[in-house]
Formats: sequence, structure tokens, C-alpha cells
Amino acid sequence: MKVTYLNRDIALGPYVPQEDDDVIICRCEEITKGEIRRAIHEGMYTMTEIKRFLRTGMGLCQGQTCTRLIKNILQNEMKRAVQPNEEPTPRAPARPLAMENYGKELVK
Amino acid sequence: MSDTKTANVIVVGSGIVGNSCAYYCAKKGLSVIVLDEDIIGNGASSRNGGGVRAFFRNPLELPLAKYAIDNIWPHLSEELGVDIEFKQGGNFRLGIGEKEEANLKKLAKEGNEQGLKVDLMNQKEVQNFCCYVSPEVTYAAYCHNDGHANPLITTLAFYRKAKAMGVKYYTGEEVVKLATIRGKVRKVITALGNCYEGDAIIVAAGCASTKIVQTVGIDMPHAPSIIEAFVTEAMPPLFDFMMGTASSAFYGHQTKHGSFVFGGGSGFESFNDGYSDSCPTRQITAPSVMRGIMKYFPCLHDLKIIRTWAGWINNTPDGCAVIGPVDDLPGLYIAAGYTGHGFCMGPVTGKILSEVISGEKPCVSYEQLKLSRFKARQ
Amino acid sequence: MERYDLIVIGAGPAGLSAAIEAAETGMKVVVFDENKRPGGQLFKQIHKFFGSKEHKAKVRGFRIGQELLQDAEKAGVEVHLSAVVIGIFPHLGITVSKDDHIEHFKANSIIIATGASENALPFSGWTLPGVMGAGAAQTMMNLYREQPGKKILMVGSGNVGLVVTYQLLEAGCEVVGLVDVLPRIGGYGVHAAKIARTGVKFYLSHTIVKAEGDKEVTGAIIAEVDKNFKVVKGTEKHLDVDTICLAVGLTPMSNLARMAQCQMVNKGGAVPSCDEYGATSIAGIYVAGDVGGIEEASSAMIKGRIAALGAAKYCGYITEKEAAEKFVVYHTDLNKLRQGMFAPGNKEKMTCTKTREGYPLSMNLLTKGFLTEKELAVFPDCLQEVRGIHPVVECTQNIPCNPCQDICPMHCICVGEDITNLPVINHTQKCSGCGRCVANCPGQAIFLVEQGEKEDHVTIPYEFLPLPVPGEKGCGCDRSGAVVCETVIKAVKDLPANDHTVLVTLAVPPGMGNTVRFYKKEGGVI
Repeated sequence: MKVTYLNRDIALGPYVPQEDDDVIICRCEEITKGEIRRAIHEGMYTMTEIKRFLRTGMGLCQGQTCTRLIKNILQNEMKRAVQPNEEPTPRAPARPLAMENYGKELVK
Repeated sequence: MSDTKTANVIVVGSGIVGNSCAYYCAKKGLSVIVLDEDIIGNGASSRNGGGVRAFFRNPLELPLAKYAIDNIWPHLSEELGVDIEFKQGGNFRLGIGEKEEANLKKLAKEGNEQGLKVDLMNQKEVQNFCCYVSPEVTYAAYCHNDGHANPLITTLAFYRKAKAMGVKYYTGEEVVKLATIRGKVRKVITALGNCYEGDAIIVAAGCASTKIVQTVGIDMPHAPSIIEAFVTEAMPPLFDFMMGTASSAFYGHQTKHGSFVFGGGSGFESFNDGYSDSCPTRQITAPSVMRGIMKYFPCLHDLKIIRTWAGWINNTPDGCAVIGPVDDLPGLYIAAGYTGHGFCMGPVTGKILSEVISGEKPCVSYEQLKLSRFKARQ
Repeated sequence: MERYDLIVIGAGPAGLSAAIEAAETGMKVVVFDENKRPGGQLFKQIHKFFGSKEHKAKVRGFRIGQELLQDAEKAGVEVHLSAVVIGIFPHLGITVSKDDHIEHFKANSIIIATGASENALPFSGWTLPGVMGAGAAQTMMNLYREQPGKKILMVGSGNVGLVVTYQLLEAGCEVVGLVDVLPRIGGYGVHAAKIARTGVKFYLSHTIVKAEGDKEVTGAIIAEVDKNFKVVKGTEKHLDVDTICLAVGLTPMSNLARMAQCQMVNKGGAVPSCDEYGATSIAGIYVAGDVGGIEEASSAMIKGRIAALGAAKYCGYITEKEAAEKFVVYHTDLNKLRQGMFAPGNKEKMTCTKTREGYPLSMNLLTKGFLTEKELAVFPDCLQEVRGIHPVVECTQNIPCNPCQDICPMHCICVGEDITNLPVINHTQKCSGCGRCVANCPGQAIFLVEQGEKEDHVTIPYEFLPLPVPGEKGCGCDRSGAVVCETVIKAVKDLPANDHTVLVTLAVPPGMGNTVRFYKKEGGVI
């Protein structure tokens, strides 16, 4: 899946603190809106980079709650729509699973 | 499409190697452009297990690994202004049975001769050192020098710092060919038809490197394989060290966050559909690696797995990276083929190439890793 | 590795319907669902469904779920519950986590019917205990029989917010208010009317600013917003609540489709791009139900069947021709649901001012949740002075629904071919006063009125416990929930055929028969 071209020399302007910067966005990892906005201003221009840099979406719910919220924040900061193929890649297991169960492959 | 963009250095690839090249070159006052077909560092740099090791390194690479661990890693967080979670917790390599014991003894001897500090432990000593290890483990080698860090953050931290220092990044820019001007490799052309020109072209594009350098008649042998990794839920701190086995059943460590990152293969790694930008996991791999982990660390049996993923490894014939200028083609530098252990050496690669490009003596000798070393059976 | 003709992921309305259709063509089908109970969202839907008979109108959601499971079992479909599909792998491989192990499967075709999940809304204090999704509150009440809280603020006035508010009231909770940032109520007017008549206050063009409290929710601050949805300073209001329910939309749970590398498109969120059968960009993989785009359960059931046609065709169990013929039937049925004021993609929903018949829409209904008598007066058959007992149908928006037509034994009510038509009273027929229309209207919008010299009688649909008893004295409330008179219970009829919608007949002062629409016990409590 090809990624859209992006010249990363984007003038987002200086980071301006906002009133709701302290609202938590990723509940599992307790990351605030301000932290996300700051990371975007420092060059994390995609959902996956924000995730890898801050740990948003890496908690137990694997982004089920925060992905949509972060997408909105990113679109607001970049003034650019996030394409459907630019969301972080979902992976197995769809739900957390204990190692001993995961390692036990039963064949009927 | 548009006008040619120029810089002193054009780097193809924004993984840890590409970003560290950009950073160190920018530090030297060079202008740098970095191109990546994907987003920042989406190759092995963001998929590996985070091991930083000098233990059981091929002697060709050892000086670089050792230099990196001694001089770069310990203060990298400070230098980049981001906590990259480096911990020098050692490297604990476990063995079961006589054959593996012999193998570990050999590795330890070599390590100590190379100037590393490696201890050998028998079963009782292993249990004393770490009670979580299975009593089935009969032997272990522990290298004090090694450690681990967070590869995702480290790769992005280099990017962030390089960007702040003026390095220009273009993502979604797939390089399709290089071109020479009067015998020097100077041009980089992308799928979108854009053209970039520089005095030095560094190809640090992982598994895509071979295809790119071929366009100027350079043959870099490679055999991509695909292995998998996974991460668990967070636990209170149990282990400081990097862990692995003599049988290469798995490797891994506990992160600062408390989660464990493990990696390994099913045995079928080399039998794949060929390198592509698709990185799927297979049904049978993760369970196989997990069984290996539980054999050596039974206490982790009920740890919940949160996520699995896969990554491509750029293997070379001798399992060592290709670093340095290409002898018969001035202007071209290769920094790829890290065969699954590029994380530790990424930062030092950037430093070396920045020095070579600037005409300075490199901090550590690298010539043994040049492409020209590959020779067929005589 | 065991192989199936079709693996269906999700035993909700789409998944089970798909499995039934596929099994009927002879395919070897298995359904995996992570929940303990089948039916997806159906198993906690206690309200009666809209649509027409084919769409299982007037049947409560959870009963539809039970019926579907029975039909699936009859068709020979294997259904595995508490079985999580943890991943889709190349090429059409699936791994399922069950009990203490995993199992690998291969499929000739796959239908992903994993539904959708609730959206979150971040605001100051949203992570406090007491803030939850409306769907979560619904699961708590309807499955685990726990009250989510005592005093609730509902955020969101779409159908989910309206329906769950009603269920919270049924569970004995107090709903202090319902807030929506838009200027108009997003869900059906009849759902809004059901709750407005109990006294629930609507705050349109309002947003939640803060959840107050240290260790849990102890209150909420809401405020008005301007046309750009920015908070208007100085309009902050404090509400005394211990629970805040969020009904702010759903997002398809398309993770498995993306894991399988299906191409995605933007359709109010990322959904797999697919053709009319639900076939994605990966050959053999289909989507059905909300995962392919949010609608509701009735359409999900049809989309499930359509996806099964696609899979059966792909696997050679039916021919192109057979698939196409059945497709036309199902698609026509689906389109019947996609009509009217609330049709998906109806861009005029927020601005239209008239029904299709030309009647002015009630603005009060759209902003406060209840019809005024002045607005009702333009609809014929409402507020009439008619001799004898007669039905009054307060259904004033075009929605696809017609049980009132079929249920009346005297044929007093007529909707017609197009089920989004407003119901019309057939004055040549004589009402028998049986009350079936009152009990079976999914919107609870029909009342029986009998005007008299000494008193009027109003028969209302009633679903609260404890039931009132004949002779009991209480309060008559108007459409806004205000107490307007004293009332005495004349009759209470709880017929099995009406499936727990009880007919309560109130005696009210003469002239109040077209005003009283709800009953509260002495003291003004439900």
C-alpha cells in the first residue's frame, strides 16, 4: 500500500498551548492532547509515527478508543485529511491472549 | 516534475541508519536530504527487538559494535534530547545440553579475547543469577557489555533531531534509480519523477538497497528473510538483560514500560514470497516462538500477548553489513545488509560515513565491511 | 488445518443471516463470535424494531436474535461462541482463540461481520469512573441487570442516545438531561417523544464541558455552542449527575479487514471498499453489516444475506444468474429501509422543514423532543373531536415503518405501499378500542382517545414497573412531561400478544384527552 508523498518541511507554525492540552486522549497509556500536538509539531506527521514516538494506541485496547481521536487532532494540526490506508496497521491477536494459550495449537 | 533539489548528501532510507547518517552529516555542517518510499523508519528499524550487542559478533563488525556501545549509546538520550530507553543490562544467552554448552563456551572465549567481559555459568549459577530461568537450562553465557533500547523512539529521535537541524525529509518518495554525471553517482530519481542531486549518495534502504544500486550497475548480494516479533502486557520489572538462546529459539528483553518484546522465527523464514512492502505475519510463527520462550522462562506462561508483527531482514552472504563507499563508483555509499542486527550499529554507521564524506579519519575502521569484500569461491 | 466453505466472523444480525443464507445453498459454514451470547447488538436491544413485517417490525431486538440463532441451527450452521478470531492471515487463513488454546482454519470464503464500536468523546474529566458509552450502559442494564448510575446525563441525541435514555428510565434511573451539539435531534422524533413525555430535558446546541469529581463523576458542566460548535462563554450550566453516557456515534470495527489487507475507503470512517455483494478487494473476503458502513440491525440482516450470495457464487454453490435474481429481491427490500427523513446519506436531514406529504415538520419535536398542540393540529386525524373511541397517531416524520397498518383488525390505519408514508386514519372504519395499535407501535406514538361529558379516557402504551392498578390516583402529564391534571387509572391490560407493552387507560378531566400522554404516580414519579 503506497504512502502519499509528503514534503516534511511543513510550516505548522510555533507550538501554541491550548486550553484543553491536559485532556487525556490515550487512556491506556495516559497521553494528553498537548503531548500529541507537540509531537506533531516536532515532525510526527503520521498516525504511526505518533504511535511509535508516544505509545498512543499501544495499550491493552490497541487504539480502539483513541485512534479516531488522534486522527482528528492530526487532521486539525496538519489541515490535511488522514487517508484510510494511513491508519496504524492492525495486527493479531485481535484481543490480548496469554502466551500459554497462544502457544497451544490444537488440531482437530 | 519539478526542479532538481540539491544537497551535499542525499540519503535514501529513513531508518535508524539513514537518520543517523543525516544527523551526523548535519552536525558536520553538511546539507542533507533524506528520501523514503514509506513513512519514517517503517522497515526493520521499527520492527526489531531492540537489542544492542557486541557479543558473538562477526570480527568484521565487532569494532563498530564495541565503539557504539562504549561511546555512543550511553549518552544518546542526552544527545538527541529524547529518552531512548537505553539500558546496559547485559546479554544472557542460555543453553540446554552438551552441544549448546560447547557452543556457548566457544562464544565466551572469543568474546573475552575480543575485549568484552563474558561470564560462563553452570546450571546452579544460572539459577542463582536469575531464578526465573527454567531449571532445564544447563549452561549460560552472560556478556556484561550488551544492552537494549527502544528502536521505535531511537529511530524517530534521530529523525526529529536531524529535522530540527535543517535536514529536509521527503516521504512517500520511492527511489527508482540512481544516475551518474560524468562518472560520479550524483542523481536520485523517484517514481513520482522527482530528481535530487548530491555530492554523496548514501543508500540505506534496507531490503530495497540492492534494487536501487543495481540501477548504476552495482551488484549487492542479498537474501531477504522475514521473521516475527511480539509484545506483551506490562509487568513489574523482572529482567534487566537481553535474553537469547544458543539454539536461536527466541530473543527478547523487558522494556522500560514493563512489557516484554520477543522475536524469532518458525524455521521457514528464508522460504518466503520475496521482499515487498507487505509484511504479513503467518499463523504458525508466533505460537512456535512462544513455545520456545516458555521452555526457557516458564514463569512467563500467563503473560498476555498484545500484538505480533513481522519484519524483513536484509541478509548478506557472510551475515555482516555492507558499509562504506563503493570503490569503482565515486559518490555512492552503501549502508545496508545488516542481517537483522542493524540497531546497535546504526548510530555508529552514521558517524563513520559523515567522517568519510567529510574527508576525515573515521572513528573506527570500517573498510573491512565494504561491498568489495564479497568474492566467489576461489 | 480444517477447511470451511465459509467462515463468518461475528454472530450478530449480519453474520447469522449470512450463515443461514449460505448454509441454504449447501455451503459448509461456521460462525465464530467472541461473545458468550449470539446476536451481536441484538441481544441487548429490548425495544421493538421498526420497518415492516419482512424486517421483523414490532419484534423486540433480543427476540430477533434468538430467532436468528434457531434458524441458523436448523440450517445446520456451526456457531462457536466465546471464540475470538484473533487474526486473518494470507491466504484466507483464520486463527481462533478458544478456551485455553488456539485453532487454525482455512476458508474458501470469509464474511467479516464484526459490527462497530462506540466512539469516545474527550473532555475534561472524561476518564473518571461514571463516564461510559451508552452501549456499555445498555449492556450493564439489559444483560447484567445493574443500574449504570442513579442520575444520568446522556450526550448524543441520535437513535442510540434516545433509545438508551428510555431504557435507563425503565431501569429506574433518572435521566437529568440529554445534550447534543447539533441544533436538531438526530434520531427519530417518536423516540424523542417517548422520553420527553417523562420529563427528560433536551439541551440542543449544547456540549459537555467537564465531568466534575475527584474519584468519580459527581456532576457535569454543559454549555451552549455557536454555529461553529465553539463554546459560548457564560452559558455554562451545572447538572447534578453521577453518570455520563456517551452516544456520539459508532465506528466500524474493521481491524480484521485491514489485517487481511483489504483496500479501505472513507465512508464516515475507514471502511473496506466493496462491490454490491460486499466483496472486498481481496478475492474471497466479504463484509456485511455495520463493519461495512453504519446503518442498523434490520439492514445488517439483509446485507448479510447479500454477502452470502456473493460468497456462494464465488465458491460455485450458486450460479451468477441465481445470485443476481436473489440479489434483486434482497436489494429492493434493503432500499425500503433506506428511505425517508433518516435515510443514510440524506443531506437534508438537518435542514428539511416539511414531510413528503407537505406537512410542516414540528420544530419543537426537533429541538425539544415533543410536539406542541399547535404543530399537531396541521396533521389531520390528530386533535380531532371524534365521537367514540378512536386512535390518534402522533407519527409526524417519514420513517420506514408500518406495523400499525397490519395490526388493526378493523383496518382503521393505513400506511400504503411506501412504508415511509405517514399513517392515515380510515374514517369509514369503526375503531373497536382493542388497543393493539397502541401496544404494537414501535415508536409508542399511538393513543386511544375517548371524549366524554364528565371525563375523557386516554389509553397510553406503558412499559414501566411496577404497573399501576385500576383505581390508582396519579398525575397526567402532557407531551413535555409537565403534570397537567390529576388522573385515575381506569384499566390496565397486559396481554401476552403485546409482549410487555401494557395498555394503561387514564381518566382525565374533559377536554384533556388530546393533551395527556403519560402517567406518573402521586408525587410525580414514574
